[in-house]
This record gives sequence, C-alpha cells and structure tokens, in this order.
Amino acid sequence: MERELHLIYILMKTINSIFIIDDDPITVFGIRKMLDRTVEFKTISTYGNGKLALDGIIKVLTNEKAIPEVIFLDINMPIMDGWQFLEEFIVLPIEEKVRINIVTSSIDPADYQKWEHYNDKSHHLITFNTKPIKVSQIAAITKLAD
Amino acid sequence: MMNRTHIDTNNYLIKQLPMATVFLNKKLEVVYASDLWVKEFEFTNGKVIGKKISDLLQPISKDLKKDLKDCLEGNFGIGVKECLNEKDGPKKWTEWTNVPWYDEKENIIGVIVQTEHINQKINNEPNSERLQLLLKEKSSNANIGSWQFDAELDTLWWCDMTKNLHEVPADFIPDLDTGIEFYKDGYSRNTISMLVYRAMNEGIPYKEKLQIVTAKGNEKWIIATGKPIYKNDKYIGLVGTFQDINEQELINRKTNENELLLRTLIDSLPLNVFVKDLDSRKILVNKSELDFLGLKHESEALGKTDFDFLNKKNALIGREEDIMVMENGIPLLKKETTNIKKDGTKTSFLTSKIPLKGANGKITGLVGISLDISDLKNKEEELRNLINVTSLQNKKLVNFAHIVSHNLRSHTANFSMLLEFLVSEKDEEEKQNLINMLVEASDHLLETLNNLNEVVVINTNVNLKKQNISLTKNIKSVEKNLSEFLKNNNAKVINTIEADVKIKAIPAYLDNILMNLFTNAIMYKSPERDPIIKLSSTRENGYTILSITDNGLGIDLKKYGDKLFGMYKTFHNNADAKGIGLFLTKNQVEAMNGKITTSSVVGKGTTFNIHFNEDN
Repeated sequence: MERELHLIYILMKTINSIFIIDDDPITVFGIRKMLDRTVEFKTISTYGNGKLALDGIIKVLTNEKAIPEVIFLDINMPIMDGWQFLEEFIVLPIEEKVRINIVTSSIDPADYQKWEHYNDKSHHLITFNTKPIKVSQIAAITKLAD
Repeated sequence: MMNRTHIDTNNYLIKQLPMATVFLNKKLEVVYASDLWVKEFEFTNGKVIGKKISDLLQPISKDLKKDLKDCLEGNFGIGVKECLNEKDGPKKWTEWTNVPWYDEKENIIGVIVQTEHINQKINNEPNSERLQLLLKEKSSNANIGSWQFDAELDTLWWCDMTKNLHEVPADFIPDLDTGIEFYKDGYSRNTISMLVYRAMNEGIPYKEKLQIVTAKGNEKWIIATGKPIYKNDKYIGLVGTFQDINEQELINRKTNENELLLRTLIDSLPLNVFVKDLDSRKILVNKSELDFLGLKHESEALGKTDFDFLNKKNALIGREEDIMVMENGIPLLKKETTNIKKDGTKTSFLTSKIPLKGANGKITGLVGISLDISDLKNKEEELRNLINVTSLQNKKLVNFAHIVSHNLRSHTANFSMLLEFLVSEKDEEEKQNLINMLVEASDHLLETLNNLNEVVVINTNVNLKKQNISLTKNIKSVEKNLSEFLKNNNAKVINTIEADVKIKAIPAYLDNILMNLFTNAIMYKSPERDPIIKLSSTRENGYTILSITDNGLGIDLKKYGDKLFGMYKTFHNNADAKGIGLFLTKNQVEAMNGKITTSSVVGKGTTFNIHFNEDN
C-alpha cells in the first residue's frame, strides 16, 4: 500500500494550485489530509461557497497568478452552490484545461444529469465523485488534466 | 217653317231624355239621338244625325238588324243584347229595346230605340253559372253534401253527395228515421236524435262531429249541421250539410296518437330535450328539462329563454351557440357545458343543438338534447384531485427521500473518511483530533435526524385537527413572545388585518410559521434601516391569504427561488442560518392544505403570502 502510493507520488508532477470549495469543514479537512499524503503541490486554497471561490479565481486572473489546476467542488452550499459556480466558471477566459472534481453526497439523478450537461458544455475536465472519497482514489483524481 | 220648328223642339226634347234613346227613320238612319245615347256610344253629336245605324255601329248583329226590321213592319222588338267591341277595348254589352215609330196618322216612320248599358248584368250571368259549378265542385272536393227536411210533407231530401257519403244508390229515398239510423249506435245516434229534436222544437241550430255507418257498413266520421227554416215565422223544416271528415279525423287521431307517443317518449328519456324558436324562446321542454329548471308544468317554461333561468354569463353563451346553429345550419354536437342556475346550482351537460327546419326548408329554430353528466364530472373531478394529491405526495416523498439520503450520506461519508484516517494514524495528537471531529460529525448527524424527524411528524401527524382561529389574536401572541427580540432590533409591526378575520389552521403550526417569518424578517434586516413588518390579509378562490412584508435585504428569487424552501439552504452570510426554518414552514403550510408564495426585491424587502385553505 505505502509502496504503491509512493510510486504514484513519484510519477506525479507537482501541482501549482488546488482549490477546495466546500462548506463542510470535516470534508475540507479530509480532502486536505489525503492530498498532503499523496500529492505534491504548491498551494491549496479552501472556500466555504461558490461565490468566495469565484471571487478568488477572478482575483488570481486579474493578478496574473497561477490559476487552480485541480478544483474539488461541493454541490450543496449556501450563497452560490456548485452548479452556479460552474455556470460562472466555464465562461471565464481560462484557456488551460482545469480538472474539476465534483464531490457530493447527493444521489439525486438530477444532479448527475447536470454534471453531464456541464461536462459537455465546457472544455474543462469535470468528474463526478460521491462521498466519501477514499485515500486510494485521491491521487487518481488529482492528476493534471491533459 | 213650322215643321222645322217642330223638329227643333223635338230635337231639343229628345236631347234631354234621361235614357240613351235614338230615333231611326225607315232607312235606319239617325233622326234624333239623346245626348246620353251619343255619350253611350261615344259619338260626337254632329256626326250622328243622318248616318245609318249600321254604319255607325259596324258591325251590328243579325239579331239586331232583324229586330229593327220587325219594328218597321209594326212589331214590337223583342229586345236584343248587342255586344260592341271597342277598338281592342273591353266588351261593351247594351240591351236594345226597339219599338216602331208612328206619326200622327199611325204610319210607321221609323224605329225608336232605347239602349241600356248592361255590362254588369251580362257578366253576372256566367258568374252565377260559374258559382254553381264551383259549388258543385267544392261540395265534391270537400265532401260536403246537403239535405233538406220538409216538415209539412215529412220528406227528407238528400243531394247526390249526401247519398254518396251514405253509400246508398242514387234512387234511394231517405226519411228522417232512416237518416238518423245511419248514425252509429250509441253516442252518435243519441246525440243526433237530441240535436234534431231541439232544432225542430226549440229552433237551435247544430254542428257536431259524429260517426255514421254507411249502407255498406263502413264507419265514417262526419260533421253534421242542421238549421230550422221558417216561412212567415212558421217552422217549415230543416236544412243542413253533411261533411265527410273521415280522412282528416283519422289523420288527426293518428297525429294525436303519434304526438302522445312522442311526448311519452321524450318525457321518459333520461335526457333534457327542448325546442327553441329563432329568438331562443322555449317552445317545447320535456320532463327532464322541467325538473332541471325546477318547474312543474311545461306552460311555466314556454316562451321563456335561458335568461329567465340561468345566470347571465351562461345564458349569453347559450344564446351565441343558438345563433351559430340557426344561422349556419350546422348542428352543435356533444358540447360540454356547465350551466349555473340563478340559485347557483351547477349542472354539467353534454349538449347537442340541431337546427330545426320548417316545411319550406327554412330554419325555424332548434332542437336541443342535453345529457346530465354532473355525476360523471364530479367523479372525474374527484379522481383528478386524487391524482393531484397522490402525485404531489409522491413528489414530496421522492424529494424527502433525496433530502434524507443526501443528509445522512454526507455525515456517514465523513464518518467513513475520518475512520479511515484514524485506522492508519500513528500520531496520538492527530488521533485525538480525528476523534473530536467524529464526535462533531455525530452531533451533526443527530441534529439532522431531529430535523428530519420533525418533517416526518408534520407530514404524518393526522391527529392535529385544524381549528377556526383568529388571525389577529395569534399574531398578537407571537408578537408578545418575540417582544424582547423585536425591541432589541427596533422593529415595528404594522398589522392591518381586520380583527374578525378567522382562518382554519393548526394553532401550533400557525405559531411556528408566524414565529419563523417574524424572525426571518429581523434576521435578514437591512443594515441601512430599522425593520418594519407589515401584515395584511385578503381572500381569494377559497383561500385566506396572510401577507407578511418586510423591508429587509430581499432575495434574488431568479437565482434562489427554487431553493428558498429547500432543506439546509441558506442564502446570506449569516452564521445563525441553518436552512431549516422555511423548509419546515413550507411543510407546515402544506400539511394544512395551504400554499406559500414569495415575492422579493433585493435591497427592498420580501413578502411571504401564506394561503390558508378555507375548505379543508
């Protein structure tokens, strides 16, 4: 187990910026902890809802700093939920292909359909993941989108 | 000279004769003519004297010529009717009375002629012949015979037609007794005997529809009339007519039978049948229609229109349909209508209206047939309501299942994740940290379960009965409970609801709803102004609507409208917001068969409209 993880760790490129957008502190803690153990990265930013995250990204864009390469996105959040965030995000002038991992406890088929809709609509890589995220999964979904 | 004077005097006298008169000499030339004669034949005076009568009136008939000649031989003329044909004009008949003209010595010197205009007479003669013919023709066509009874001789005379009607030979000689015996035994014979007796003895004429049995044994309906005649005030007999009405009578009877059959049929039909004229006045209604209109006798409905029975809107629609059908001649078939009577009762019908044509093919009105489908409609309505309720409940159930699964899953996912960390964690301090988090997650789960349970209770608690409660009283009590909170926030409550407004609600739910909306209005107040809560109520479509308006932050309903009443949905950066209040409010309103709607302007405030169902 340790060896395997280590192997993946070696193979992985260093990721410049990761965003975690979730209003549940335990989930944020968990994802962070897993990333610490498996992925090499420079910065992780966490936001309590879509609006805060969007403001963060716009700030990054205007300051010409590194845009997030991987985003962990919760769906059910106050102020601006995951879908509303996506709606705004996919129209931002970002040429790079960003990996967006939707992480949700929802099993509502409507949410699944929405994911397909946004995945088709955008050039970014959007994945749909149901909670809980396992340590064994985290490295695979934290690779850079090609 | 003398002679000349004589002639002039004669001439002068004759001119003035009050009859058309002409004096002819032996050559039948005009010697004198009265002005009337000249006028009669439309001659001018000067051109008449000395002219031959045959030249003047050419041609004259042989009869006239002969008559005039007879006079010259001393015979009185027999009188001639002469027809003069004016140029293409109408025939002009004159009667010529000719007498020989003697002088003082009794010598015939000519003819004196008097003419009389007799057009009228002549025309009348063929007329009276025609009349007689006509009478005969009429009598045979109308099957009217005549009879006469001579009281002195005690004889009865029948005309040919009368004999015909009795089917007796032409040489049959009737008498009063045999005449009466032809009447059918029983009512007819008794009646005629009495009528004849009364005519004879009391002078009362009669006219009666009776039955006879002919010589050949055929039964016939006839109308017998009789009338006494008098000579010098003395009764001398009876005259009368005898009319064969058998065919008409049989047709009448058949028609009556058919009518009765039709009437029985339409009255027994489980359909409303009516006939209307061009002005949509009812000219026939059957029993079902009478029952629907709440009337006892057809006469109460006849001549009346829908406007007399239905509400104006219904009647107008009906009249428009009638006009369409009658103008276009196209039937209206199986149209579903709901008729509301003046007393407010509703009845649903499947109505057909068929144009009714008169004998000349013109539309004279319409026939309407309506099937009462109220029961069917009510059942349909019940079914539809049931389906609505079921699908709504199903939707709520699915929704709730998602809420439950989502909320439970998010906590269990956290458990699972934290436990996974804990198992492989070696650092004691981090272990303790993870355990703390597990406890926190457990608390959240418990709280979630409590919330969900509350929802289940709201949706399944059938024991809580709705009561008639005063809205103002409940608002006052909530205001009192929150008085400290309202005071601390400088909140003002403006209540314009009438004191007597009552609603059907579960008191505990109403308290919760009011409490929650009041709290929300304060919690989401604008930082720029003190909160004002306005309360008002209206009634609409079976609902009493309570409106609660605040002047707070407002909410973008375009963005959040579909989530406003969702569980764990929060929209403002408010640490106290749990996203459960409005979710429970909505559940409580719906559990009371009500509904809740919102309108809001960001920066201005929000209005919540709670619809309390008045019926159930």
